[in-house]
Amino acid sequence: MEQTVKNPADGAPDYNFAYLDEQTKRMIRRALLKAVAIPGYQVPFAGREMPMPYGWGTGGVQVTAAVIGPNDTLKVIDQGADDTTNAVSIRQFFAKTAQVATTEKTAEASIIQTRHRIPEKELREDQVLVYQVPIPEPLRFLVPRETETRKMHALEEYGLMHVKLYEDISRHGHIATTYAYPVMVDDRYVMDPSPTPKFDNPKMNNMAALQLFGAGREKRIYALPPYTKVKSLDFEDHPFEVQTWEDKCGMCGARDSYLDEVILDDQGNRMFVCSDTDYCAERQEAGHRGPQHHDQPLGSADRGKAAE
Amino acid sequence: MTPQPQSTSAQTSDLLPGFDHTAFDSNAVFRALLDAMSRPGRIYDLPVAVSAPDGLNKAATATLLAMADMDTTIWLSPSCVTKAAGDHLKFHCGCPISTDVKQADFAIARISDDLSFVTDLAIGNAEYPDQSATLILMVDEISDQPSMTLKGPGIKDTHSLAVKGLPESFHAWRAENHHLFPCGVDVIFASETQIAALSRTTRIEVN
Repeated sequence: MEQTVKNPADGAPDYNFAYLDEQTKRMIRRALLKAVAIPGYQVPFAGREMPMPYGWGTGGVQVTAAVIGPNDTLKVIDQGADDTTNAVSIRQFFAKTAQVATTEKTAEASIIQTRHRIPEKELREDQVLVYQVPIPEPLRFLVPRETETRKMHALEEYGLMHVKLYEDISRHGHIATTYAYPVMVDDRYVMDPSPTPKFDNPKMNNMAALQLFGAGREKRIYALPPYTKVKSLDFEDHPFEVQTWEDKCGMCGARDSYLDEVILDDQGNRMFVCSDTDYCAERQEAGHRGPQHHDQPLGSADRGKAAE
Repeated sequence: MTPQPQSTSAQTSDLLPGFDHTAFDSNAVFRALLDAMSRPGRIYDLPVAVSAPDGLNKAATATLLAMADMDTTIWLSPSCVTKAAGDHLKFHCGCPISTDVKQADFAIARISDDLSFVTDLAIGNAEYPDQSATLILMVDEISDQPSMTLKGPGIKDTHSLAVKGLPESFHAWRAENHHLFPCGVDVIFASETQIAALSRTTRIEVN
């Protein structure tokens, strides 16, 4: 017997807890257990159609639906932001179908579903990070055929990926891949970290939290158990490097976070702000100020000035 | 004369209940299993109260209620094969029960059993290492005494684990299993009240 949400009148009474039926959740849960047992390996699963289009996080939503319980607190981010359409709609989806508490605070969440960012705040052992993944196969743009890429993973044949990075160097002088930067997991599987900026790659290494990845259209689940070695692919003479900015966040003044560029007008004026909205808000609450913060006097030297 | 009902299948009145609340209880048990498999050697309390049929213990029963269904084949070691256990699993999980250990998605045994069957468990293949069996080993006692030191993914430095009555041959099998990576069998230790797991990635030093 399927069971409905705690208070059917408030939720979605015609649906099972967290939308998916119990048999589907069991199937996803079995795939998740295999995924954590084989870090970085893509486990096929019978992905369901979800009430949102492919590309909007159907994989992440299915993983979250299988993992979430009534006592969880859910945070959803899209490119670091809690207040974008994708994040708001997924948060509301689970608030309605699972009646769980939701939060925008990284520290308060037990499950964080993310599209393309890892929160700046260090995650804890009691948290789970669920990634929405469009293309789980890191070799897909090099070899279109699934039977081939599967064989390449089986044989640990990753030379082609190094050739791709080398071609970057020969063309641009450096490794020009800036997002979905391939990683080697526990010295065995090459894995796509989903289209997170390479800035976030070092956070995946030895993370205290469990990391789960769901690709809905491609019907693959993979995982990184806590404290797993995750190394970004590179060369001895071209070591992996993350992005750096000469600017700081216009709102909170942070220099250590991933910054989005915001175009202000057609005169070339622009500003940079933290992509992680919770991180930025927390810093502003703590009194940190960037040059474009509205607290700053209009006439001050920095405010409104175009970034150098 | 009305024909007497045949008494070959289980009488529902003999059956023990499954989970109180399917969605919440199976989620709670799964989260304990996910934590256990993500952090090999850490011991987790069984989060729900379940009744176990003759032949199975509570944590093993809860694991099967949460994870098994018509898509998973169960193999029970001879010491676990009882009518009560078979009826319980068929009624609550609807899972096929096989006598061929090679077919098993989940194999259930007692630690005191002859464990020589473990080398027949499915280990998957190089392209699909996930097509492997999970061994649920029913044990009397799990503790964090340092009789085994575990390392590998999911473990910050080391985890200590002791399982009462674990035979020498088990460690030889686990060492061999570790070399098969990414193929291999994962193990869930289930006492009456606790769960711990060994992933195929876990390296075990016996102290």
